[in-house]
Amino acid sequence: MSDSSRSLQPREAPVRLSDLAAGCVARLHAANLAPHDCALLRALGLTDDCVLRICQVGEPCIVQVRSTRIGLSKAVARDIYVLPEGVG
Amino acid sequence: MATVAHCDPEPAPPTPTAGRRHTGTARIALVGNPNTGKTTIFNRLCGTRAKTSNFPGTTTSARVGRAMVGGDHLADIVDLPGLYQLGLELPEAKIARDVIAGAGLFTRPDAVLVVVDACNLTRNLVLVGELLASHIPVVVALNMVDLAQQRGLSLDPVELRLHLGCPVVPVVARRGVGLEELRHALGRVLDDASLGMPKTLPFDPANMAAVSTWAERVVEESVGGTAAVGSETDTLTERLDKTFTHPVLGLVVFMSVMVGLFWTLFAIATVPMALIEATFTQLGQRVGDLLPAGLLHDLVSEGIIGGIAGTVVFLPQICLLFFLISILEDTGYLARAAFVMDRVLCRFGLPGHAFVPLLTSHACALPGLMSTRLIPDRRDRFATILVAPFMSCSARLPVYVLLTALLFANQPLFAGLAFAACYLVGASAALVSALLFRRTLLRGRARPMMLELPSYKMPSLANAFVTAKDQGLAFLKTAGTIIMAICVVMWWLNRFPRTAPPPEADALRAQASIASTPAQAATLSAEAAAVTRRHAQATSYAGRLGDVIQPVFAPLGYDAQLTIGVLTSFLAREVFVSTMSVLVGGSADDDVHDAGVIDRIRSARRHDGSLLFTPATATSLLVFFVLAMQCLPTLAVTRRETGHIKWAALQLGYMSALAYTFALLAYQGLRLAGVS
Repeated sequence: MSDSSRSLQPREAPVRLSDLAAGCVARLHAANLAPHDCALLRALGLTDDCVLRICQVGEPCIVQVRSTRIGLSKAVARDIYVLPEGVG
Repeated sequence: MATVAHCDPEPAPPTPTAGRRHTGTARIALVGNPNTGKTTIFNRLCGTRAKTSNFPGTTTSARVGRAMVGGDHLADIVDLPGLYQLGLELPEAKIARDVIAGAGLFTRPDAVLVVVDACNLTRNLVLVGELLASHIPVVVALNMVDLAQQRGLSLDPVELRLHLGCPVVPVVARRGVGLEELRHALGRVLDDASLGMPKTLPFDPANMAAVSTWAERVVEESVGGTAAVGSETDTLTERLDKTFTHPVLGLVVFMSVMVGLFWTLFAIATVPMALIEATFTQLGQRVGDLLPAGLLHDLVSEGIIGGIAGTVVFLPQICLLFFLISILEDTGYLARAAFVMDRVLCRFGLPGHAFVPLLTSHACALPGLMSTRLIPDRRDRFATILVAPFMSCSARLPVYVLLTALLFANQPLFAGLAFAACYLVGASAALVSALLFRRTLLRGRARPMMLELPSYKMPSLANAFVTAKDQGLAFLKTAGTIIMAICVVMWWLNRFPRTAPPPEADALRAQASIASTPAQAATLSAEAAAVTRRHAQATSYAGRLGDVIQPVFAPLGYDAQLTIGVLTSFLAREVFVSTMSVLVGGSADDDVHDAGVIDRIRSARRHDGSLLFTPATATSLLVFFVLAMQCLPTLAVTRRETGHIKWAALQLGYMSALAYTFALLAYQGLRLAGVS
């Protein structure tokens, strides 16, 4: 995961996590968050290029990475960019 | 398969125990991600007789238990707070780093027992990797292997051990499976530290991305069917999450849970609270009988026993509250509830976690402040601690009852509305103050919520019991030290200097001695006693202080009597009612629900003959008590929870200034409007 400076230069066509529908599978691309929030996300399991499944959209946004379910406030989900990989 | 960059093997620095048998009492640090069953393993290894204290120089509590490991090793096991990674800039991670490094006041442990969730190995192994790099023998407890097998995972502990270079013991902590093997493994690494340390590290510990890649590779090679990990959809969990975090349904469920929690709290805690009150009353009487009348008698029965009784009476509520919160947390519900409240509280700079402490403070601010430990971010936590005492606690109730009854005699509807307004004003003051603090001293918005949503499961009653016991003991420790000292000082100020009864009391006693009937004699004696108490209070240091300070409260409409009432209630708000009762000629034991007491207080007069309580004065007092920090035990707990007296001083100063300002505005505004 990148900090704000890197996240401003997407390589492909990343979309905001908050824009995806429930059931979608995506790969983590970048996060436009404060460094300590990025570190916490990484520690929770949202590591570089990890595959996540969107379980619920809105407030909160719930994603599943491997067997961990992570709740993210909408503000956080808006600042996370992912590459959609299809529907799980 | 992922490629892992192997860095140059870094030789482990020599440690005092490396390769040698450990003698004496060993020290083992217990580490793990949150929700891995760490506490259950701690309780299984050490029993429930662990001691709880704060980590040196911090407000984070540490549990230390003693266990026999490996047959002949006695070990002190230090239960560190749950953490995701050592490198995070969070208080729990800093403490773990310091403990493991033996920095400052900490003693470096002889071994680390790290608990990992078998269902979530990749993330847990990142922490294991960081610990392996710390050159301390490590033993891995692979917990919840039964659950992993149910989910179709085939774990290979031998393969895992080969990858990690340290013992790996599969356990099911809830059922006690694998605990003996775990004790043996710990004993073995204490005998020979090299068994718990890899010879080489296959990753660069300074590069977290490399540690993560290594963790992924270890899982791929040690766990059968990694594709299955996390790919399953748990329909029940999804449905429950959808309900519990829904904007409307979630709120309904949350309110229902909280109503249930508080109903249980009040319904069940009432019995032991009454028992404690009765016990302390008996104790006071026993001591009164044993000690000869005099200074020591009064100090023990009134200062020490009376003061502590007023605080310890809340112990059942505190224990029960933490028991119930632990149960809720264990089920996995509390993490979902935090998101529900986050929508409301984040507008005021508070996190969703703050709701439980704020709601709890309606019962008593003491458990409310203690439950702020649920809030992970320091600034969020401090902001909650600073504003929680604005919530109308049960100790304010007698004051509200008295003042609303004085304001609206024979108008129960208006009295009820005024009563409800007190709660509303308190809660509004808390939220607005939180916003103010977040824009000044604790600058910043509430940290956006990013939370692991643990699996739903049956809660552990044993863990809840241990939590309640620990919190209760911590509270008693505060009550027995800081609060007792404060009680003694307040008693001294109220009782000294000792003065002879006034001539008026002597005259009443003389009349009583020659009264024609016993009933008349009793009335005259009671009147003499009340006059003596009033005189003693007026001439005490607290009373003299009241005279000196009265000019400060004069703009609020308070005379010397009301000033004494406000000053003495600084120990605890409810003291105001008993003080007023004594000052107007009754007894301190009079009940506020007794109409006679209210009538007597209503008709009480000032020295100049005017009414003591005018509508403007009563309103001013009501506003003052809604907003003021009139509770010394709360200040003591604020100091303990924040780790510094400056926060308690700020809380006292801010709340007192706010209470004074709004009470002044209320009094002067009503006077200007012709209501006085």
